[in-house]
Amino acid sequence: MTVVIGFEGSANKIGIGIIRDGEVLSNPRRTYITPPGEGFQPSDTARHHRSVILTVLKEALEQAGLKSSDIDCVAYTKGPGMGAPLVTVALVARTVAQLWGKPLVGVNHCIGHIEMGRLITKANNPTVLYVSGGNTQVIAYSERRYRIFGETIDIAVGNCLDRFARVIKISNDPSPGYNIEQMAKKGSQYVELPYTVKGMDVSFSGILSYIEEAANKMLGSRQCTAEDLCFSLQETVFAMLVEITERAMAHCSSQEVLIVGGVGCNLRLQEMMGVMCKERGAKLFATDERFCIDNGAMIAQAGWEMFRSGQVTELEDSWITQRYRTDEVEVTWRD
Amino acid sequence: MTVLKRLGRRRLPIANKMAVPENDDQASKLEFSLDVPFPSARQAAVALGSLSPDREPRRGGVHKRLTLTGSVLNVKWRADEARVLRVSVNSFLDHLSLVLETMHAFSADVCEDPHVVLGHQPPSAT
Repeated sequence: MTVVIGFEGSANKIGIGIIRDGEVLSNPRRTYITPPGEGFQPSDTARHHRSVILTVLKEALEQAGLKSSDIDCVAYTKGPGMGAPLVTVALVARTVAQLWGKPLVGVNHCIGHIEMGRLITKANNPTVLYVSGGNTQVIAYSERRYRIFGETIDIAVGNCLDRFARVIKISNDPSPGYNIEQMAKKGSQYVELPYTVKGMDVSFSGILSYIEEAANKMLGSRQCTAEDLCFSLQETVFAMLVEITERAMAHCSSQEVLIVGGVGCNLRLQEMMGVMCKERGAKLFATDERFCIDNGAMIAQAGWEMFRSGQVTELEDSWITQRYRTDEVEVTWRD
Repeated sequence: MTVLKRLGRRRLPIANKMAVPENDDQASKLEFSLDVPFPSARQAAVALGSLSPDREPRRGGVHKRLTLTGSVLNVKWRADEARVLRVSVNSFLDHLSLVLETMHAFSADVCEDPHVVLGHQPPSAT
């Protein structure tokens, strides 16, 4: 049996999870929530993580019913993400790894999402849509790499949604994306927005500028409601994501889609992707907010795979990095 | 900072000195040094291991070097400007504080091992 503890804190969530051979033993998490209209700044987010990380670590061990001596390996997020929060989490991971005398494994955050999605859904070799506040990528596995088939050329889809939420002062509790999803259900009028698919890639910054301006004009003159804008934004950006995912599937003759990342728990996105999959006779795999949204278990799971295939990270190589592409990692644990 | 104070009760408080060297072109840098005493050499080594891997930004105009002298962690900064020095020192103290808190919270876990004696000694023992 191999027990791995995973530390995640690359954005505004801090999570620590413990995995024993594919079984999630514990996965506590805290979210740094800012007031409506405000995003989360790196230094404030790091301060939040510092203030709760040891409590979360104790919870993770208690809920799993384990002692430090039961842990075989300490996994942490090496990147990509915001520097200050990443360092905070890495510091604690390094310290406990030394105190407990356990090896460290630095995990690519995106790989964490993919491996957690594969574990939970049992998808075998899916085309992966990874959508969150910081990343938007269509990924497929080939020859020991998770290869990026398409991605955003500017901001992430979740960043587009979050920043729109700030403009019209939607609450960040539990998350701006969740609140947009609920409001979108009450929208009835579709406001036409730019649709920006560029080959295999997508762009969201122009859509954001457009809808910001539309919000200022149309909400003031009551031409549409905030709910209509939420609905229109979701329909547009999700259609773009479904389009590039379908194209990647055609390229790889893939019959499976896995949606991961924080935006992946949006049920409307899952529904639209489901329609496309049904038309192609493909299967859709998705998880709920426990595993879609950043969490510690996903880092533990990717760390488990890496550790079992012989990878460890020496202490002096355990620096964090804000930029770390999905295809930089050699996948030593798959055929 | 509370942890730093706690540590200070057992040992010397943090010693620091700041100096601006003579103003020739080679040495026109601000320097700052910090000595952090730990109850044991092992604890100091753990702190060094946790705090060393992340480098300062390459073009940030600040250099930081961490070394050990027995149970004392020595940190030396050289910087072009006071502004960048302050940011680096501040964040280092935040990081140090978190590492110390982690050691205090999880030191009981390793006490079974006679080779790693950590924390929770009565003040008279040091």
